[in-house]
Amino acid sequence: MEPAEVEFLAEKELVTIVPNFSLDRIHLIGGDLGPFNPGLPVEVPVWLAINLKQRQKCRLIPPEWMDVALAGSLIRQTQEKLEEIRDQERKEDTFTPMPSPYYMELTKLLLNYASDNIPKADEIRTLVKDTWDTRVAKLRLSADSFVRQQEAHAKLDNLTLMEINTTGTFLTQALDHMYKLRTNLQPAE
Amino acid sequence: MLLLLSPNPIGENPERVVQFAQSSLRRRDSRFSIGPRTVTSRPIGRGSDLAPSLSEGGPRLPLFRRRLVAAAMFVSDCRREFYDVIVSQRVLLLVASDVDALCACKILQALFQCDHVQYTLVPVSGWQELETAFLEHKDQFKYFVFINCGANVDLLEILQPEEDVSFFVCDSHRPIHVVNVYNDTQIKLLVKQDDDLDVPAYDDIFRDEEDEEEDSENESDGSEPAEKRRRLQEDVIERTMKRRQRREWEARRREILFDYEQYEYHGTSSAMVMFDLAWIMSKDLNDMLWWAIVGLTDQWVQDKITQMKYVTDIGILQRHVSRHNHRNEDEENSLSIDCMRIAFEYDLRLALYQHWSLYESLCNTSYTSASLKLWSVQGQKRLQEFLADMGLPLKQVKQKFNSMDMSLKENLREMIEESANKFGMKDLRVQTFSIHFGFKNKFSASDIVYATASLMENIEKEGHETTNFIKALDSLSRGNLDKLHQGLDLAKKQLRAIQQTVASCICTNLVISQGPFLYCCLMEGTPDVKLFSKPVSLCLLSKYLLKSFVCSTKNKRCKLLPLVMAAPMDVEQGTVIMVGIPPETESSDKKNFFGRAFERAADSTSSRTLHNHFDMSIIELKTEDRSKFLDALISLLS
Repeated sequence: MEPAEVEFLAEKELVTIVPNFSLDRIHLIGGDLGPFNPGLPVEVPVWLAINLKQRQKCRLIPPEWMDVALAGSLIRQTQEKLEEIRDQERKEDTFTPMPSPYYMELTKLLLNYASDNIPKADEIRTLVKDTWDTRVAKLRLSADSFVRQQEAHAKLDNLTLMEINTTGTFLTQALDHMYKLRTNLQPAE
Repeated sequence: MLLLLSPNPIGENPERVVQFAQSSLRRRDSRFSIGPRTVTSRPIGRGSDLAPSLSEGGPRLPLFRRRLVAAAMFVSDCRREFYDVIVSQRVLLLVASDVDALCACKILQALFQCDHVQYTLVPVSGWQELETAFLEHKDQFKYFVFINCGANVDLLEILQPEEDVSFFVCDSHRPIHVVNVYNDTQIKLLVKQDDDLDVPAYDDIFRDEEDEEEDSENESDGSEPAEKRRRLQEDVIERTMKRRQRREWEARRREILFDYEQYEYHGTSSAMVMFDLAWIMSKDLNDMLWWAIVGLTDQWVQDKITQMKYVTDIGILQRHVSRHNHRNEDEENSLSIDCMRIAFEYDLRLALYQHWSLYESLCNTSYTSASLKLWSVQGQKRLQEFLADMGLPLKQVKQKFNSMDMSLKENLREMIEESANKFGMKDLRVQTFSIHFGFKNKFSASDIVYATASLMENIEKEGHETTNFIKALDSLSRGNLDKLHQGLDLAKKQLRAIQQTVASCICTNLVISQGPFLYCCLMEGTPDVKLFSKPVSLCLLSKYLLKSFVCSTKNKRCKLLPLVMAAPMDVEQGTVIMVGIPPETESSDKKNFFGRAFERAADSTSSRTLHNHFDMSIIELKTEDRSKFLDALISLLS
């Protein structure tokens, strides 16, 4: 899969916007959208939100997890914010669950097109990049040990589609090669 | 009451004429008076007592004009009468070649993109290109938008559009042609109402012509001879009275129109008008505000508006800037560093000083170079004294501004202002805005103006005319920083070339007084003369030259004279481009009479001239005709 395709799938996620126009409910094949009333928040898919933002017809509200640190201890139990997520990711050896299966794509899209609606955009970018780097490093390690020890199968939890996509091609091709080499060796033995 | 009928309606469809007459009847009922904009006699400004003989002959304006009503066609509600009309149509944008027009075009393009309006953009640099573009596209478009062109001529006569074609004109050139003002149906002017327009009242310029017909019908029809004779006598008296009245009216009309159209000047920047439109629709962004600022600064850099108007407009923009950029940035909600921030600054008047070294900038800005007289050896010494007075070591001052010591840069503005006051430069600081985005991108509005103007008139690459225009247009977007930096380099070269040319002109006494005006002609072999074959560069050069000349000469009378500047334009075709600029005084009202003067002089000597530019004071003529043209001009103005 191309990264562009993964991004396309990510654009189906819902995000809250505050429109400045009014429109009745529209019925599309994939579902209903709206109704839009100026000043009232409404949930729409990201592709529509970005388009409306570019045409200056709405204001984007960042998702709850897209924030730097915890506001208070009450929130701690329900959702974690990015600093916590990053720290936890660094502590654990395995992958921790991410707040959204498309956290990387959403961050990139929202920060590119709507950074004036998102407070502390630069810090968020850094934190998400840190988390991504940690996870991809873990993925590389595990892929490396997988190939080395010639395992037959492995199970990894809490990976997102984008991360799988980065190693996917390499991993499958490497394992193919290993298989070919293994089968070629056997008759000699 | 009919408006007009031409005496021989040959080829006219009589039904159409009748229909038209009836509809004009209906429209006539809804006429309203113009209000305070009645005739005011233009105050005789400086330099006009040098042109008394321009009062013979008047502007060529047809007395009787079809399709006119006594309603001024200024668009009162920009949104309803302009934007809502074109939002669902295909539009042709005709954009003139100056930075203000580019900025207005950018704002309009951004609005069009928001609403998915289909448009075609045609850059035009003169009347010929305008007409060609119009003829090419007139079958496909019904709505034309003119940006910084078209207000000061009779558009209907030049372009001859169909009945259903609409023109929207957003132009800062003044005076607006009376036909454009009083046309009800086809021409709509996007002009701020509080600009001092002084349009003559309708009744003083146009009149109904039913009297014409009655005269021709006054033939004797059968009756008794005695009665006939008496009636004839009465008729004759009546007719002579009417004729005298008409002659008086026509004389007054000529005078009024002459006063109105004598001087050229500039009104509010088109970019600011477009930004107003965006603001009314609540679609204004920081980007558009920045373009409006650049448009206004372009008018100031090119000396097109008075200081007072500039300060007033800066005040208006300042309110918008504080509205957009007031966010209190603290720990809780800090804006991304990539977001654009505009800041109001009371900055130095030195051109490009943040992208150059301070020394170069001092040498190449006309204000400092003229005040310190840097073309002479003494001037150079004064510059050294100036720098020493401020305590800036030469080594620091000659390196790139960004690499200067922080301790020197901190109070630079105040230090320079103090020292400048001692050396006679009282206006070294000016109110302006600067933009700041990313970690290393900080530009002042005048930097952008110089860069964009140089890109637009770039002579280095011999490409199609419009590629330079498009490149300059692109450089105004934040994403095209490489083009902007290229423009800055070109601007530095241009400023250096201008200063060197000015220095050589003054040192070799090339500026001669011809009586009513000063005259300077650039010879072909002059270095960088190709740079000055473009109108905006030549205008900039002339203004700087005049400033420097005024500082260098001791002749009090010469200080008040306007300047006519000539430079070779195309060597193969043997043409010369000539520019006339008003005199340089402290409180000049920037009104230029050379437009009309050039026209009259060209007529009287039948020189081969081309009045192609939207500014009437810029013409092209054949090199051979130059001397007789000048002689005619001298006799005209003395």
